[in-house]
Amino acid sequence: RFGFLKNIMGGKTITQEDMDKVTAKVEEQLMKKNVAKEVAVHLCDQVSRSLVGCTTNSWTTVEQTVQQAMADALRKILTPSASLDLLHEVQRHKKLGGGRPYVISVVGVNGVGKSTNLSKIGFWLLQNKMRLLVAACDTFRSGAVEQLGVHVNRLSELAGRQGTGEVELFAQGYGKDPAHTAEKAVEYGEKHGFDVVLIDTAGRRHSDKRLMGDLEKFAKRARPNKIIMVGEALVGTDSVQQARNFNDAFGKDRNLDFFLISKCDTVGDMIGSIVNMTYATNIPVLFVGTGQHYTDLRTLSVDWAVRLLTQ
Amino acid sequence: MVLEDLGKRINGAFANLSKGGDIDEALDAMLKEVCSALLESDVNIKLVSQLRQKVKNSVKATPNGASKKKVIQKALFDELVNLVGVDESAASAAKFKPQKGKSNVVMFVGLQGSGKTTSCTKLAVYYQRRGFKVGLVCADTFRAGAFDQLKQNATKAKIPFFGSYTETDPVAVAAEGVAKFKKEKFEIIIVDTSGRHRQESELFTEMVDIGAAVKPDSTIMVLDASIGQAAEPQSRAFKDASDFGSIILTKMDGHAKGGGAISAVAATNTPIIFIGTGEHIHDLEAFSPKQFISKLLGIGDLQGLMET
Ligand SMILES: Nc1nc2c(ncn2[C@@H]2O[C@H](COP(=O)(O)OP(=O)(O)OP(=O)(O)O)[C@@H](O)[C@H]2O)c(=O)[nH]1
Ligand SMILES: Nc1nc2c(ncn2[C@@H]2O[C@H](COP(=O)(O)OP(=O)(O)OP(=O)(O)O)[C@@H](O)[C@H]2O)c(=O)[nH]1
Ligand SMILES: [Mg+2]
Ligand SMILES: [Mg+2]
Repeated sequence: RFGFLKNIMGGKTITQEDMDKVTAKVEEQLMKKNVAKEVAVHLCDQVSRSLVGCTTNSWTTVEQTVQQAMADALRKILTPSASLDLLHEVQRHKKLGGGRPYVISVVGVNGVGKSTNLSKIGFWLLQNKMRLLVAACDTFRSGAVEQLGVHVNRLSELAGRQGTGEVELFAQGYGKDPAHTAEKAVEYGEKHGFDVVLIDTAGRRHSDKRLMGDLEKFAKRARPNKIIMVGEALVGTDSVQQARNFNDAFGKDRNLDFFLISKCDTVGDMIGSIVNMTYATNIPVLFVGTGQHYTDLRTLSVDWAVRLLTQ
Repeated sequence: MVLEDLGKRINGAFANLSKGGDIDEALDAMLKEVCSALLESDVNIKLVSQLRQKVKNSVKATPNGASKKKVIQKALFDELVNLVGVDESAASAAKFKPQKGKSNVVMFVGLQGSGKTTSCTKLAVYYQRRGFKVGLVCADTFRAGAFDQLKQNATKAKIPFFGSYTETDPVAVAAEGVAKFKKEKFEIIIVDTSGRHRQESELFTEMVDIGAAVKPDSTIMVLDASIGQAAEPQSRAFKDASDFGSIILTKMDGHAKGGGAISAVAATNTPIIFIGTGEHIHDLEAFSPKQFISKLLGIGDLQGLMET
């Protein structure tokens, strides 16, 4: 709670002066939770604008009123405007049958957890009885192909034991053009009746023009139904620009579809990067990663996030 | 937020002075610009307000006069550089001076995905070029493909390596690898470990056990330049558990300039020794505080700021 606010009980008209005094503190509180300054300032402005001139309810303090307004502002940013029912879409696509598999690709900066969380998504789809092709399109980083190979073997074994879906690896080794490998993977998936193709990509710095430029070509050739950007909860202010640059990387007719925010288990209540990335782009969070195992994948509870950020 | 023009903004604050502006106003304006730029680059809030206070204090302590502008500039410059500095004993403890003809063990620790495995090879290459006999040990038995990653990196760099596809105990692999390289008279033995975080105590226990098995002469924490506020609690916990003596800051070729990592330096009184500037094996540079600060704040030439 914003315990530093004065306890004024009910019926007080909130002035700009009151607000300025508290927003400085609130801003600081948000920044300590890894909300970028730019985003914290925006949130405080919003709260300020909605409250100046209002009267606090009886039995309510300015503190509680501000807290409530901040919770509302955060909720507004975090609540998705599009459907997050990916499984439903994949199932519908499968029911139509015959054609192209449903293609999902992950993108993001280096080391955020793309390959691991792609494998978690794979596990989830397998539990829902999908036939899955995992495409190793990180043809750059040492061990990337073997890393996915290990995951596919483990997933395959798990699926076999549980009698659920099937999974296979598609790889062409290192040094290949990832867009080409992706295209081939989708062709292969179509020919062999796979329901879903999951495409892993190499990590890239969002400020690297050349590597970011490759993404547009990649999306044109692989034509993913969904592009998921993996961002990590550990990242600070840079998360704002990461989200913007990746969202802009696919040309003017294509955006990101979802975020997956990984490593939420490593930050305690400092989950500001979730807000930073959704604020910057309006792209919703499909999943949060909460650990290094296949089951450590959750949907984002907006209430949980708001509570952590305002308490 | 564009930080590139901070130098200009600071100079702007000073330009008012030459036009006969008020010195305290100029100081406030300048501090405001700098502090806000620091906050926008993830520097810990506490550290920023300390810096503001220290600069103010040292300026207050000098008499009024024409030299005041110089005093302000110097105070600001010094405090900025102090942000990434540590006291002398910590600095000398971090000075890892491997001796030829002896086996020196270096252990890498850090959060998941920070760049440990990549930096291990970079450091190996760094010492190999300086005439040391270097070996790499993969003690990450957890992450899928970890051994293949290290193996491929090491092969590219022509560095002998050790690891196992079947052993699941990282302590056993680490001990075996180090013993083997010691027996073969390797001078620098670098041990890569899995990523971990303070919230999982088992992972920290494992790190302590690996440390006990290989008895490192130097432990290095690897930090990603884009890390935010979690840098402080995480690095503090790593310090307590592994007592690392220095930091390698990776991914400095990206957009983030390592402001978050400053709080790790402050919280653990441990210096940054190298920065990683790319994904290739030669992308490792010695750390320079002045360069770091000028990049962080987008001031092209910090020395130039001093001379305006
Ligand atoms: N604690 C935690 N660790 C995670 C999570 N997701 C991924 N990781 C770890 O983060 C590290 C990097 O994961 P990867 O999946 O290899 O990351 P990546 O984005 O594919 O990396 P590059 O391909 O090298 O860019 C691994 O050690 C993973 O186990 C998570 O939600 N929580
Ligand atoms: N651009 C850039 N990328 C880097 C740098 N250092 C490491 N990377 C990339 O960051 C990603 C993660 O690096 P790793 O070396 O696998 O990280 P790690 O700490 O060993 O990861 P875990 O073992 O999973 O905890 C890879 O994609 C690396 O290529 C750097 O200095 N610059
Ligand atoms: Mg990967
Ligand atoms: Mg590693």
